Amino acid sequence: MTELMVTPYAPYRDGIANYAVQEVAAARAAGRDMEVLSPLPSAAQHHLRLGSALGMGRLIRAARRYDRVVLQLYPELLFGACRGRRERLAVWGLLRVLCSVTKVELRIHEIEYDEPAADPQARRLGHAALSAAAAVTVHTAPEQQRLTEAFDLVTGAVSLVDHGVNFARRTETTREDARESLGVPGDAFVFLSIGFVQRHKGFDRGVRALDRLDDPDGRVRIYVVGDIRIDHPDLLDYREELESLCRHVDGAEFRPGYVSDEEFDRWLVAADCLVLPYREIWSSSVIERAGIYGVPVIATDVGGLAAQAPAGSRVVADDDALAEAMAEVAGLSLGAGSTRDVTEVPREQAAIQRLIRERADDGGRAPLEADRLHHTPRASTDSARPGVPQAKRLIARITAWQVEPVAGHLDEVIDRLRTDLRRLDERVEHLEHGERD
Amino acid sequence: MTGTSTDRSGTIALVPPRYGPEVVGGAEAVISETAHMLAARGWEVEILTTCARDHFTWANEYPAGTSRDGDVTVRRFETQTDTPGVHRKVLGDRLLSGVRLSLAEQQLWMNDSLRVSGLWHHVLDHGASYRAIVLAPYMFWTTFAVGQIRPERTILMPCLHDEPAAYLDIYQPLFSGARGIFFLSDPEAELAERLFRLPARTEVVGSAITLPESYDPDGFRARHGIDGPFVYYAGRREWAKGWTELLDAFRRVHRSAGLRLVTSGVGEVELPAGLPADRVLDLGFVSDDERNDAMAAAAAYVQPSALESFSRTVLEAWGAGTPVIANDASEVVRWHVQRSGAGVTYRSEQELMEALTLVGADPDAFGAMAAPGRDYVVEHYDPTRIGDRFDQLLLEWTSPLSGTGSPPVADRAAR
Repeated sequence: MTELMVTPYAPYRDGIANYAVQEVAAARAAGRDMEVLSPLPSAAQHHLRLGSALGMGRLIRAARRYDRVVLQLYPELLFGACRGRRERLAVWGLLRVLCSVTKVELRIHEIEYDEPAADPQARRLGHAALSAAAAVTVHTAPEQQRLTEAFDLVTGAVSLVDHGVNFARRTETTREDARESLGVPGDAFVFLSIGFVQRHKGFDRGVRALDRLDDPDGRVRIYVVGDIRIDHPDLLDYREELESLCRHVDGAEFRPGYVSDEEFDRWLVAADCLVLPYREIWSSSVIERAGIYGVPVIATDVGGLAAQAPAGSRVVADDDALAEAMAEVAGLSLGAGSTRDVTEVPREQAAIQRLIRERADDGGRAPLEADRLHHTPRASTDSARPGVPQAKRLIARITAWQVEPVAGHLDEVIDRLRTDLRRLDERVEHLEHGERD
Repeated sequence: MTGTSTDRSGTIALVPPRYGPEVVGGAEAVISETAHMLAARGWEVEILTTCARDHFTWANEYPAGTSRDGDVTVRRFETQTDTPGVHRKVLGDRLLSGVRLSLAEQQLWMNDSLRVSGLWHHVLDHGASYRAIVLAPYMFWTTFAVGQIRPERTILMPCLHDEPAAYLDIYQPLFSGARGIFFLSDPEAELAERLFRLPARTEVVGSAITLPESYDPDGFRARHGIDGPFVYYAGRREWAKGWTELLDAFRRVHRSAGLRLVTSGVGEVELPAGLPADRVLDLGFVSDDERNDAMAAAAAYVQPSALESFSRTVLEAWGAGTPVIANDASEVVRWHVQRSGAGVTYRSEQELMEALTLVGADPDAFGAMAAPGRDYVVEHYDPTRIGDRFDQLLLEWTSPLSGTGSPPVADRAAR
């Protein structure tokens, strides 16, 4: 039997790619004839641009040659390049066709629930596609239930697969060696938040929680390890917010940059406790990997994390519980100098709105001005109009040789300005301290 | 060394992006040399590589599958070059102009040239059967992608030099996560220490330079009809290697210096306007013997590349008793020149022109400078000593495989 897995794939750094590699390795080790098709060029045998009706059409053609196809499914894979509702509906329809040409397993990592809730036709077509698949699988019971309800599927149509069933160790290093190689003090108590930096992962919550611990010896540290996927303004904002936060919280350290699978695991080995303060998530590979190394986890109660968390984990409801759990794990108490927000929240909508605006404009609360300086944004090639993205990309290519050096130099100027502003900020702080002393 | 095992069981895989007698490239030569040295010391050695000969087209020119090169098994896998290469070009230009690329862009850049799915899956399927996987050089997809599969068994031979790509974030874990790193020179190791967090096991091993028993400079001159002094350059004739810079300088002095330029290797020899074709002799690809004879016949060997991690040809020139004129921007070549005293470096086109002029003015006087060169090569890069060092480090850094430790078999991945 020949099988095809459709998935992001190595050497791309991506949670689903990482997951898929381990499944492919296990399948091939078991003697199964499995090939891979990825949406971007990678180590896969095949690649196709997906995310549109055309892409799905091509996938149907490719899938005919295989006895079984597994789609590691997330919204971008199906709809990433769609130009509107009609095309999205067409993709659902074509997914139904794909499920009829061969045996298809839809391994769902993430799906947009707003769509079937708001659009009956999308729900109908989604229902048809999911019902036609040979298998629909998810990782946790909450996902199973939500998916079943969202698409009116029959009970039992969605089954569970163990998220970490194919996960294997990627390092044999010791804790001491791991810490030494990563520049982590050997005697520190180390909390770790690791993964792509996105606001919904809430890494800032862990840092703020650390700031509430009463740690007179400065023994406890939190490392935020990872980086943004793309230079999107929202992601850049969040990364800079995290950087700024980590600079101002004793014991917090942000380690931006590319993290390989091996280094990822080395961080887990080096950590005393993994902190996953996600604001939203379906399921987490990181929890599964922590389980391989027996690293305790503190996670927020979102998505299927409670179901995934290994025995001994602490699943917390809110920021207070997060701080309390971290204090308990580190053998500390919550400090008096808590940074907990004690603002009294008004009950009227207009007052709340005003308060939000005021807080957003409050220089004291906002990140440093230096952190608001961004690199020069490159022109977006996105557009819903047919042909426009292609034309924009063409123009970008043609003009890149002129634009890029200028933009690059501007970025350099911005970097220097940021540095100067930070130095200025430090000097002001120093002077203020001096005056107080 | 006391206490070190002498158990050489288990297969050592060496993974260069290209391999073969017609392949021109320093890193590829180091891998080939290392493979044979290890095989001669009793190791089971496999080369895992592509079917490509040309590093611009990456076209599949050698047949895929398994073959033997002396005591070494060679497994070749077909390259995939089915992307338009636009990202590679545009992002590469941005990289060269000093613009920082995002992680996503770095990954696009990396995957928009050759990819070798068969090789990657071979290591995914059989990586555990290899005692060590030695990867070189750092910059290519083969090293970057394969290095992530079994980092605990990966020994990196980066052949690193100071270039924009070396500063990309995506290479950080390749260096920090490897089981160990073999460096070819002190400057390379120092650069790596500046750029990366390195693993505990690193060693400056060097590279073996096998010198021929004799040279035939007169025969070379006779075969090619050369009389009068000439300077020689062997290697890749491309912009990145300083070739165009050499041609420009040579164009301006060839008459006054009374020199010819002889060159061999790969790449197009595109002469600038004003440089008569009869002043430059392109031998194309030549055998090692022919290259050695050319080295011995030359009045000086020119190394115009700033991007060198070891520069074998400089050492080969000294082995042949020929002085070297080298680009000072290459830290490692400057280091060789300072240590040996058998050459000069230049920091500008004007200095290169002056050096060429001096060669032409008195080739014998200039050539006398080469005297300590051969001793330097023999003392530091003797193949027996280098081979013993590789052997010893593999014994120290790796362990025999538990279980059967049977070597990997030819498999579907090569299809």
